[in-house]
Amino acid sequence: MIELTLQALFSGLLAGGYYATVAVGLALVFGTMRIINLAHGELVLLSAYIAYAAESRYGLNPVMAIPLALLVVGTVSMIVYALLSRIRQDREINSLILTFGIGIIMTNGILTIWAADIHSTTNPWFQDSLVIADTLFAMNAEIVAFVGGLALMAAVYWWLNHSWQGRAVRALSSNRNAATLMGVNPRQTEILSFLIAALLATFAGVAIYTGKTVFPALGHVLTVKAFIITVLAGMGSIHGVLIGAVMIGIIESLTVTYLSASLQELAGMLLFLVVLFVSPSGLFGGRRALAR
Amino acid sequence: MRHILLLAALVVAYAGVPLLFGGTPYILGLIVAALTIAGIAVAWALLGNLGGMVSFGHAAFFGVGSYGSAVLSMKLGVPVFPAVLLGGLAAALASVAMLPALRLRGPYFALAILAYAHIFQILATEMTPITGGAGGLLSIPRFPVLFGLDLGGKTGGYVIILTIVLLSALAYDAVRRSAWGLALKAMHDTEVATRVVGVPSTHLKAAMLALSAFITGVVGAFNAHFISFLEPDYAFSSTWTVLPIAAAIFGGYRTVWGPVLGALAIYLLDQLLFKPILPHGHQMVLGVLLCAMILLSPGGLLPALRRRSTGERHAHA
Repeated sequence: MIELTLQALFSGLLAGGYYATVAVGLALVFGTMRIINLAHGELVLLSAYIAYAAESRYGLNPVMAIPLALLVVGTVSMIVYALLSRIRQDREINSLILTFGIGIIMTNGILTIWAADIHSTTNPWFQDSLVIADTLFAMNAEIVAFVGGLALMAAVYWWLNHSWQGRAVRALSSNRNAATLMGVNPRQTEILSFLIAALLATFAGVAIYTGKTVFPALGHVLTVKAFIITVLAGMGSIHGVLIGAVMIGIIESLTVTYLSASLQELAGMLLFLVVLFVSPSGLFGGRRALAR
Repeated sequence: MRHILLLAALVVAYAGVPLLFGGTPYILGLIVAALTIAGIAVAWALLGNLGGMVSFGHAAFFGVGSYGSAVLSMKLGVPVFPAVLLGGLAAALASVAMLPALRLRGPYFALAILAYAHIFQILATEMTPITGGAGGLLSIPRFPVLFGLDLGGKTGGYVIILTIVLLSALAYDAVRRSAWGLALKAMHDTEVATRVVGVPSTHLKAAMLALSAFITGVVGAFNAHFISFLEPDYAFSSTWTVLPIAAAIFGGYRTVWGPVLGALAIYLLDQLLFKPILPHGHQMVLGVLLCAMILLSPGGLLPALRRRSTGERHAHA
């Protein structure tokens, strides 16, 4: 019993690592542009499928596919930005519908090119299991994704707090007008936030391909999950996102272990609704209220 | 002149279409499906335009309405027509569970409703004794024969859904013209000022959500009795959210008839033109259409056409 619980906690922690890399990208873009990019999960999915294509067609190790995936995902991310910045009226509603539409295009594009089959890496090393302290099991891929994701997020965290550009991103999130008056170029900063989000999405995509399975409908699921995590965290706090992601990961794995796999999504959704209604500004002190 | 045109349109819709396509059940079936989407699109537009809320979860109301009506008529023996109305009522009741979401705005509301839709779908799958679980419900009672007209057939179904869509559009129009509609429009411009002069904004929004849910539920209930089969993945499918949004945006969700025309255009194009070309990813075209409309003509096609025709009239005068 205890072993089972420990294993569930451990698996949840590992899953939380890659959920967090997806969610931080979404939160960064929301910070600078006040827009929820509903196509964010599809960017992750695109990266996963590029890793799949590289492996199945050219026998490339999925990790080696990261540069190519980064190039493609970055380009698509820039296209999304270019389209979004053309919206003038009713920005809140129209940006939601626009990114929703882009998500539909990407999901169906992937469906057309790669069909609806479920894919996962064929490289056996990633799926070899690793035993920690004789009781906890994990796949190599999960460990790599967790450690890599943490490192990437630490780098983003450092960048946001110590580099001029990172500070510009934060300044723009907290007060757009003041930041612009202080010499922050809003367009440049927004583009930068989109590129960082694309970088994180690329990494998350390859991580999912090596450690889990991918299928076209996954993009939408990831977007919703990332949104739930940012709500739990309260917008604008990276460590909040990390904790929120781990929470979701653990709740999901406990639900699967003790209740039923079909209830996995339900647990996260219920937590999301409870937090929205009880504490709309998130659990970890977002300064800005999400609701009126 | 206007009245004569309207009358002619009604005659064509009620008599002309069944006569013309009565011999080709496939086409008539497509039109019924398009009108089903149109009904949801009107409900979505009502919530979006008057309530100022984008919903990604109308599939929840559709599913609750269809299951409500199907279960009532199968397990309790309620006649089909009252069951359809009760199905709508069940969807409106389900929207009461969403009331806390009303204080959220923009993306938060949109995704909270999406979360509800997921929860309802999972509940329908898990409550096997009532809903039949993942296996679904088979041989749901069809519409009866009334005044010598077999309402259970394709033509009968067409007449029923046409009536539902027309009544929904009229309800949308009536609310828009009423004092409520004015208050809601003012709220769209500035909610704080509207509340200060004493408009109960939360109540109005709740009423719009319930009305939108009711219409969607009735449409869902119609569909359940029309196709006589239900399963959770079908009844709560995201199709019931995606297609109506595309239709409403395409036709113009701030107009009454835009969503209806948009649904007819989009669904028929999708099924007759895009599906044969792209059998698996044909919804991609809907995505392209959505993006193009938002970027090029966010008000939708109908207002754009109207602007154009009035512009020409001015040029002639």
